[in-house]
Amino acid sequence: MLQLFEFIGRNRNFILFALLEVLSFWLLVNNNNYWGVKYFNTANTVNAKALEISNSVREYTNLREVNTSLAEENRRLNELVTTLQQQKPANAPAGYKPDSAFASRFKWVTIAKVILNTTHQTDNYLTIDKGYADGVKEGMGVVSSTGIVGKVKICNEHYSVITSILHSQFMISTKLLRSGDMGTAKWENSNIPSIIQLKDISRYKTIAKGDTAVTSDQNAVFPPGIAVGRIRNFKVAPDQAFYEIDLDLSTDFSKLSYVYLVENKLLDQQQSIQEGILNKRK
Amino acid sequence: MNPNDIVRSVLRWLIYVLLHIFVARHLVLFNYSFCFIYIGAILFLPVEINLTALLAIGFVTGVTIDSFDNTLGLHAIATVLIAYLRPIIIRYQLGQKLTEGRLQLSIRDLGLLAFLSYVILLISIHHIVLFLVEAGSISMLPYTFLKIMCSILFTTVSLLLTQLLSR
Repeated sequence: MLQLFEFIGRNRNFILFALLEVLSFWLLVNNNNYWGVKYFNTANTVNAKALEISNSVREYTNLREVNTSLAEENRRLNELVTTLQQQKPANAPAGYKPDSAFASRFKWVTIAKVILNTTHQTDNYLTIDKGYADGVKEGMGVVSSTGIVGKVKICNEHYSVITSILHSQFMISTKLLRSGDMGTAKWENSNIPSIIQLKDISRYKTIAKGDTAVTSDQNAVFPPGIAVGRIRNFKVAPDQAFYEIDLDLSTDFSKLSYVYLVENKLLDQQQSIQEGILNKRK
Repeated sequence: MNPNDIVRSVLRWLIYVLLHIFVARHLVLFNYSFCFIYIGAILFLPVEINLTALLAIGFVTGVTIDSFDNTLGLHAIATVLIAYLRPIIIRYQLGQKLTEGRLQLSIRDLGLLAFLSYVILLISIHHIVLFLVEAGSISMLPYTFLKIMCSILFTTVSLLLTQLLSR
């Protein structure tokens, strides 16, 4: 007996080593063992917390990719929403069934990054990093995640210039969502980049502060229902038939970074037939 | 060993383990090279530490790493093994140097060659055991060996870097 204890005493480190190895092997082979499931895994609170911290740091490095994929997802969803809306307009009578080509005329072509943006001139333009190569064409509508932005003016291979709606000549057919009254939005008060004016709404209509204005169905460039702004205040001069309305723009031009490009595939047809009637009248 | 040394050793252990959990675990080069920088936590413990403590530390280190990879036992096997072999290899590889006086297991005290001969040997043992046990069979032997070689290189270089950066 004494010899046994002496042996253990002399070789205690080797015995400890062997025991630990056997224990480790046992843990590894029984990978469903109680200890493994209960304590030593990534569901353990301490471990999970540590991994969470590590992940939250890593998330920052992925933000760029996440942003791009979210923007792409938004483009896809926007296209779907527009198509669905056009297939079954909410205010249409029961018998109306739109032609499929008409219903899917708006195509959300691509996403672009704004690389230059002015807001404090009379006529403002933006530059984006997509051009012909990515399917951008002159005349396409440009929309941000929060609302309307402008219209493509010129493009080359990889860049395009966009006429911002903060432009003295830009007019958008707009409707008030609550009452359905249509008017024209135009940036006339050319110094505040967050406010746009809405005209041609009759003074005999009822409007209220906070009413939402969106692009109307009569828009050739923009799909209907894109946010333009909210009524900030309105007044009517005694000798005027129309309100003078100020809208708070829904697009914050100072923070604009990604924009979506929308193409109306039937724009040419619509324009040519409208020009046709002008020619006939002459 | 005075208290100051103990604190430094504990801190060094903690830094290597945390470095592995938060950084090195995610580093995989070309799908072949893995970095097991936590080996430094065992390799750079003071020379005069007793073997029982060393084995216990090795086991705790292995289980800690395992619990983050959900491979309970795997790293523990390899780490306990190098903890057990460490004094033997120190005696054979660095025996002469150690007789000259009290040394720290660092690149500054040992010199590059002696340091590498000590580090690479233990890293190799660790990686061979780790990858073979992980593979669980010898059917993918060439692939496993390529992984072992690349990982030995990667771990050695990262340990050298941590040595050069530490005081």
